[in-house]
Amino acid sequence: MRYADFTPYDLVLLAQGLGVTLGLFAATTLIGLALGAALTVLHYYRVPVIGHVVVAVTELLKNSPVLVQLFLVFFGMPAFFQVNMTPVTAALLTVSLNTAAFAFVIFRSGVEAVERDQIEAARVFGHSRWQILRRIISPQAAAFSVGPLIGLLVNQLQVTSLISVIGVADLTKIGNILNLRTLEPFVVWSVIGLTYYLCAKALAALGGRLERHLRRSVVWQGL
Amino acid sequence: MIEINNVEKRFGSAEVLKRINLKVEPGEVVTILGSSGSGKSTLIRCINGLEALSGGAIRVDGHDVSTSAGLAAARRRSATVFQLFNLYPHMTVLQNVTLAPIQVLGQPRAEAEAQARALIDLVGLTEHADAYPQRLSGGQRQRVGICRALAMQPRYLLLDEVTSALDPEMTGEVLAILARLAAEGTTMVFVTHEIEFARRISDRIVFLEAGELIVDMPTEAFFSEEGGLAVPRIRKFLSKMTKD
Repeated sequence: MRYADFTPYDLVLLAQGLGVTLGLFAATTLIGLALGAALTVLHYYRVPVIGHVVVAVTELLKNSPVLVQLFLVFFGMPAFFQVNMTPVTAALLTVSLNTAAFAFVIFRSGVEAVERDQIEAARVFGHSRWQILRRIISPQAAAFSVGPLIGLLVNQLQVTSLISVIGVADLTKIGNILNLRTLEPFVVWSVIGLTYYLCAKALAALGGRLERHLRRSVVWQGL
Repeated sequence: MIEINNVEKRFGSAEVLKRINLKVEPGEVVTILGSSGSGKSTLIRCINGLEALSGGAIRVDGHDVSTSAGLAAARRRSATVFQLFNLYPHMTVLQNVTLAPIQVLGQPRAEAEAQARALIDLVGLTEHADAYPQRLSGGQRQRVGICRALAMQPRYLLLDEVTSALDPEMTGEVLAILARLAAEGTTMVFVTHEIEFARRISDRIVFLEAGELIVDMPTEAFFSEEGGLAVPRIRKFLSKMTKD
């Protein structure tokens, strides 16, 4: 049999693929944001040498294709370092680092957007550098960052589709399988595309609520 | 006592402060006058450690601000009110006032909040305690700035042109509070352009001109014909400032 019709079981497959995509997205987002935040703290403390290394590495990650990074990690690293690399590990590593690089840039601009005057006031009142970061800078930088961050994450959700290329059974990979079986590319890719779309919209809506919460102290004063 | 000995401050080749000597005793109100760019604000920023000295020394109750331990001790003894308020915009009025007492002095939250509410009542902002600074007028924000400083129970209050960003009505609100603090014996170093007010509350007037301290006199003498007014530069400054 060269092809077959859709079956109810395909919905289960689709759900599994969606689960893999969302699981991988959630994991890489958590790791990426945590790493991005940690790098921002290192940068804030102006740790010598490390600061420059961080900037150089993030520049590399930001300015090269994710697919190439994925190939480097999945094919290149096992060959060069003689390590085992499963598709899921490679996907986690690559997307997490990529998210971290962009999150670092967003957080860093958030930190820089906090007015110097307030930081001077806090210093004069005797707050430590850590207290200033924790109490004064972070809450405001978070509010500044959440908008660009949602944009980044919506994009990273789409980027996860690349991992299907190295064999992770995510939503796109399931699409591929269904397409090969049914030879109904228009239906399959419409459904897959729509699923990504709905996830992205849900993410953006969630982010919008978070942003309003974080920016509750800001009054829109008009022009 | 705040002791300022031969303090110099240079930004590149620009000499902003030239061998300044000044003492402020507990209980005194010392006003620093001078035109814009004369170094008044820089002097305040040297006392609270926001600018490193290029020469000389500043001691607050004996603590040298050029060492990190000395600066920490000096900062516990003084508190600054800023020209542009420098409030924390993401915190309510109460949070602005309690942050340093809780974090720096280690006061229990309940105690810090009770003290903060008393100060907020004192400056007439009772119903704004839970508002964010952006919802307040400039005068109200500066009153919060004063509360935030007083909450640290400072021995010395450093006031850096605290009414320069306010309209006359709001200036009045803020000056009324400062007058009360001065009457209660709060030690103040007061950088201002409010000549008449300075005359009323100050014990001494210091005049800076291009980074040099040219006059340090009791207030009465400063405004007398044979004292400050005998100095042409000061006479010119005062006639200009009181004209408008």
